[in-house]
Amino acid sequence: MKRKLKIYLPFINAGIQEVATYRVNWIFYMLGNALACFVSYFIWKAVYSSGGTDTMNGFTMSQMVVYIVLMFLTSTIIASDGAWVVGEEIRDGSIAMRLIKPVSYNATFLFQELGNKLPTEFALAIPMIFAVEVIRTTMSGEIQFSILGLLLYILSCIIAYLINFYFNICFGFIAFAIKYLWGANMMKNCIIGFLSGTVIPLAFLPDALEKLFLFLPFASLNYTPIMIYMGKYTGTELLYYLGLQIFWAFFFFALSKALWKAAVKRLSVQGG
Amino acid sequence: MKKLKSMFKIHRIFIAQEFKRMMEYKGDFIVGIIGFLMIQMSNLLFLWIIFSQIPNLLGWTVNEVVFIYGFSLIPKGIDHFFFDNLWAIGHFTVRKGDFDKYLTRPVNTLFHVLVEKIQIDALGEILTGIALVCITIPKLGANLNIFRILIMIVLIPFITLIYTGIKTITASIAFWTKRSGNIIYMFYMVNDFAKYPATIYNRFVQNIITYIIPFALTSYYPALFILRGENSLFNLGLPVLAAVVLMGFGILVWHKGIRAYESAGS
Repeated sequence: MKRKLKIYLPFINAGIQEVATYRVNWIFYMLGNALACFVSYFIWKAVYSSGGTDTMNGFTMSQMVVYIVLMFLTSTIIASDGAWVVGEEIRDGSIAMRLIKPVSYNATFLFQELGNKLPTEFALAIPMIFAVEVIRTTMSGEIQFSILGLLLYILSCIIAYLINFYFNICFGFIAFAIKYLWGANMMKNCIIGFLSGTVIPLAFLPDALEKLFLFLPFASLNYTPIMIYMGKYTGTELLYYLGLQIFWAFFFFALSKALWKAAVKRLSVQGG
Repeated sequence: MKKLKSMFKIHRIFIAQEFKRMMEYKGDFIVGIIGFLMIQMSNLLFLWIIFSQIPNLLGWTVNEVVFIYGFSLIPKGIDHFFFDNLWAIGHFTVRKGDFDKYLTRPVNTLFHVLVEKIQIDALGEILTGIALVCITIPKLGANLNIFRILIMIVLIPFITLIYTGIKTITASIAFWTKRSGNIIYMFYMVNDFAKYPATIYNRFVQNIITYIIPFALTSYYPALFILRGENSLFNLGLPVLAAVVLMGFGILVWHKGIRAYESAGS
């Protein structure tokens, strides 16, 4: 374990340095995404004031605001761009450099990305969680913060990130067959956006669809952690959804290994 | 005049070249068009679900909202179709030093960059936009006459220039900073505000999207005129003015940027 850590620590470090180089770029990117949150906020505000009811499908307006902010935070935490990396490396042949090293292919990505994400995540998560609590408290008039909820949310996010990471690696191998990664990625994001509740909370969908989407792996990405933080899942329901998350994480982990084996067999790299 | 003619000729050659390239990778562009179509479908599904819960959105009917949304897609799609290459300038052309090639050619650099590529993916946006406008127009009521529809068509090229102008300005920043892709991205996200009627936003946001980053001029204000015939001078004049000012400023910044440009990369 210690030896393993020593191997992969440099990858984390490289990731941290990478993100430090493009910090300004990252800030603009985040600002752009934050703007999308404001659009959501206004549209929901208009919807609630047009609807004439306080609660829609179990969400009050203040819960909807919390949902939007948490969606922004959760999407950032679990984001993973393995698909691009795999596709690019197969295309330009730099994958060969990873193959000749005695380290796991997936693991090197994982740790590099962790290094990429950790500093930014802390910089983002703490103020955002604080903001969520301020919004919740002022809009409902009572303190709703629960440390257990926060811890479960963090746990759920970690599992969600692993699902996303391995899913994207799988997708990278498949997308490589399509060749046009940009287009394929757009389709993927679009489908996931809907199935994971990013576009609209799954509770707003017709019952049958909601049930189906909740079982699919994509709800495990964003929706489950957010519902856990908001205290919508309790007791056995909570255990069920956490269990489902773990199931999907293992599923995509195994699938990525299988695809990797199949891909390496067919891989031919010209030049270097 | 002769110069203009030669410019058109160059444009034609570039586009022909692009089509050849596209024919080679047919699968790519089908994937791209479907991708953009799906994004539109997802947005429409969102609107549909919302409107199944409420009678109207602060007084806007579903048809009006869909019309505004659809109309906003047409100029956006046209800009995306013809002038997508500016994204590349901001993201990597300058950073990798590839911009040098434009400086060595005997045509205006901005013109060259603009006409060099077309982005077929944008058809997903343009087609959805046209379809939505055509579907909603008959349902919007009788006071919508031919005259207004003609004005709408005339307005589209100007609105397209609002997009191209903003993209030129933000892409030009890369001449100083080497990379401005995410600044373009940020401005594009402001464009999300243009998808819905501006009355759903508060005063502050309304002012920003009207006067500072004027994406509301790309759909909401023209739609006000088309749908309700309101305040034609403001609703039509401002988009045209903004188009001229933004594009003019874009050309200015671009050429200032080129003077500041130092080749990068290897």
